[in-house]
Amino acid sequence: MKGTVPLVKAHETALYGSKAVGLGQAIRDGLPVPPGFALSGAIVEAVAAGNDRAIKQVAKTARPLGGPLAVRSSAVDEDGAEASFAGQHLTLLNVPSSEHLGAALSEIWWSANSDSAISYRQRVGLFTRPSVGVVVQALLDPESAGVMFTRNPINGADERMIEASWGLGEAVVAGQVIPDSYRIHRSGEVLQRTPGFKKIAIRTLPEGGTFEQEVPPELVEQLCLDDGQLAELNGLADRCEQIYGPARDIEWAFADGKLHLLQCRAVTRSGS
Amino acid sequence: MTNADTVAELRFEPPAPGYWERDPVHFPRPMTRYWQEVHPAAFARGTGDFARFYGMLMGSLASAYVHGFGYRSMVPVADEEVPARFERATEVMQGKLWREQLRDWDERVKPESIRAHQAVQSVDPAVLSDQELVEYLTRCRDHHAAMIAQHMRYTASAVVPTGDFLAHVGDWTDVPPAELLGLMRGTAPVSAGASAELERLIAALEADARARELLASGDDPAQVLTELRALDGEAGEAVSGYLDLVGYRLLDGFDISEPYALAMPDALVRAIQIAVAGRDLEGADVEAAVADIRGKVPEQHRAEFDELLGEARLTYRLRDERGVFSDIWASGLMRRAVLEGGRRVAERGLIHEPVHLIDAGFDEMCSLVADGSGPSADELAARATERTTRDPKAAPRSLGDPPPPPPDASGLPPDVARLMRATGIALGHLFGSSEAEHDEEVLRGLAASPGIYEGPARLIAGPSEFDRIVTGDVLVTQSTTEAFNILLPLLGAIVTDSGGLLSHSAIVAREYGIPGVVGTREATGRIGDGVRVRVDGDAGEVTVVE
Amino acid sequence: MTGAPVDALQRVPLFADLNQREVKQIARLFKQRTFPAGETVVQEGSGGAAFYVIESGEATVFVAGKEYSTLGPGDYFGEIALIDEGARLATITATSELGCYGVTFWDFRPLVESNGVIGWKLLQSLARMYREARAG
Repeated sequence: MKGTVPLVKAHETALYGSKAVGLGQAIRDGLPVPPGFALSGAIVEAVAAGNDRAIKQVAKTARPLGGPLAVRSSAVDEDGAEASFAGQHLTLLNVPSSEHLGAALSEIWWSANSDSAISYRQRVGLFTRPSVGVVVQALLDPESAGVMFTRNPINGADERMIEASWGLGEAVVAGQVIPDSYRIHRSGEVLQRTPGFKKIAIRTLPEGGTFEQEVPPELVEQLCLDDGQLAELNGLADRCEQIYGPARDIEWAFADGKLHLLQCRAVTRSGS
Repeated sequence: MTNADTVAELRFEPPAPGYWERDPVHFPRPMTRYWQEVHPAAFARGTGDFARFYGMLMGSLASAYVHGFGYRSMVPVADEEVPARFERATEVMQGKLWREQLRDWDERVKPESIRAHQAVQSVDPAVLSDQELVEYLTRCRDHHAAMIAQHMRYTASAVVPTGDFLAHVGDWTDVPPAELLGLMRGTAPVSAGASAELERLIAALEADARARELLASGDDPAQVLTELRALDGEAGEAVSGYLDLVGYRLLDGFDISEPYALAMPDALVRAIQIAVAGRDLEGADVEAAVADIRGKVPEQHRAEFDELLGEARLTYRLRDERGVFSDIWASGLMRRAVLEGGRRVAERGLIHEPVHLIDAGFDEMCSLVADGSGPSADELAARATERTTRDPKAAPRSLGDPPPPPPDASGLPPDVARLMRATGIALGHLFGSSEAEHDEEVLRGLAASPGIYEGPARLIAGPSEFDRIVTGDVLVTQSTTEAFNILLPLLGAIVTDSGGLLSHSAIVAREYGIPGVVGTREATGRIGDGVRVRVDGDAGEVTVVE
Repeated sequence: MTGAPVDALQRVPLFADLNQREVKQIARLFKQRTFPAGETVVQEGSGGAAFYVIESGEATVFVAGKEYSTLGPGDYFGEIALIDEGARLATITATSELGCYGVTFWDFRPLVESNGVIGWKLLQSLARMYREARAG
């Protein structure tokens, strides 16, 4: 069955969803995206329906990544639509290995077909049936990670807004800490560095899964990004804007001292 | 003294189906029976007029009284009228039609109202026969009702451009709304009582030594006013002209139970003294404040800032003028007529004090004056006592259904959403000032999603408690995840302990167009489950309002 | 195995008048779904997308905040969502880990729309359910 490709080969959003194609394009453009695979909406649905062949196929495809895995929704009519679907896409960080993908994909399919997803679609005027692809990548173990909007979403000012915390970026995305808040002018000038209250860090477990680690007291209010890293983030923002256009919502992580791009999508109208 | 014992027996039932909210700013105390009879129809008429003029999604506001306390409820516009309203709202915002209303007010409505008040005022009720007094009471009542409707009719034009200004500048800067309202200063002289008549009075007094002596004499204020009026020439005429304009204005509130200015000569004398002592030329201060705030606005928005500020200043004086030249005056005239009736009825031994007639309903007033029939002296005295001693704290802030969730602005045409936001913000800031009388707990966090919403807080630890959420609740929780999305259509606002402006809660709050304050650190620790809170997503503040 | 067990569906009153072949067609549309203990499966007042039949575990039904009933294997809920896109009438919480089979309305609708017989039978069942509700 067609339906799985390496990310670098993901071209059709109608098959794999815009997140997968976006990440594939980022890899093709030389951006630092961790390698992985794109699974089509059709194969995700087949797995959720219990189709054994589909289940075996996805397990085999993802095996080279080892474990643990980061499994993310890639909804087929997402970006480009007027709403961010923020929160409508599920990210599963605790998938121990490719053998556990079947259950993960089923969860993702239902999340795209849940009551709230439907209400949400109706609210933003989408009346077509949802189709959700999936991106599978090896899970990073970052020192610090978070989110960057290349335009201030509160007042529309032309500056980068960054929120960062220790460990996996989930702590920032899911709002589990009060993150450091930075604002950088596109020239690189740092306009604001406000330490947050980062009491926990989400870390990976060697056998798969994640846990909430208590952050040592001296680090709770210490800035987790230095100026060199801020400059790298500003550079990444520049490159993303050049390739994709203005108003980007970027998820990033510093792991093993290197900056990784985990997600890059359009900031929605209301998000800006 | 409050009759706290009997208060416990009072049951507050919703007056009709729907969501009813108290208005403690305009009606802090129980109202008279007369007011309760006259107000609702006039209020509905006037609010319906402004809603139609502005293309709002509101049909009108209904008012009702429970144990004398005023509650109001919104009557939505009929579905089939919505497209016309959308069109009208766009017309209003694009064409700045509040200017039309302002022009109408200045050129026709205000001068006509003043003439109408003066016509009613020129009758001396003391010389009327009983039958004529009953006719006069009717005339005053009808005039009062028309003026109440008129006051409400101009509400939106007083509020929309100011709210629009607050909304936009609130998006561009972090200047608090109270500070932004200060930029209107100096544009509403009528708030200080100033008018052409006062200007004339000041000039006359400055030129007349004898008048100034009287004013500074410290003698009995009523005597001072009588003597000022009696002065020869310009001074005396100016004083009379001024007193004719302001004399029957209620000094506070709107009900006929409130005194008018002439009954409080010391307040009048003080007002004149202050006016003569020196006009507070705040002009220069205000311009400096404007420049300062303008500097905080990003450059690409400054031209729009100027435009919005201009519109707001143009209409700001309507906020006070629409009351002072409408029902605040007409109510004083009604009171004067009722007091004359009360004087006669008391003289005939039918009531204990003239002022007790204030607590009669309109038909009761007329029949007591006409033929002495109606409620007994004790009955009216009891009503007066109850009304003036009933504890306002007993009246619940709302009755009936839970508040409807705020409309989803993201689905509306942009001008309609802009209009709604302007109205919401303006009403929240211009009329929320009385909240200081309650114990306030203000929690601060990050202003994640704009708008202001008031509703019951619901502390939710996790998905197992989701069934406790009711439509219109304010979600208060540690942080949110995708699992919480199922609640979104039910929520009025979101408040979290942790999380930043780019977190899930912040993003979905903005997505759904509901106010959001994140990163408060201790919302779940400090806000009690079920208490009413106000979430200000522009200021990043959460306030417990009861 | 794909789809839901046919015998589980035959017990659903909405499908009472369908023959076995018709029920099989519907059963194929179902997918397995597991809810962890404590999770809200369906929220009163929110839009409804799917109909579920319980295979294992237990769930509690709340209406207007008050506990109303419990559901177990063989029970079903959310069927009105298949017909009417209105709001959920109750909140259902998984008391233990809940194994279900679910079908969304946009998987279900095309089948009904293309198969007039099924549609007609469903209408008859709905009418009967409505009459029973009014009488009771």
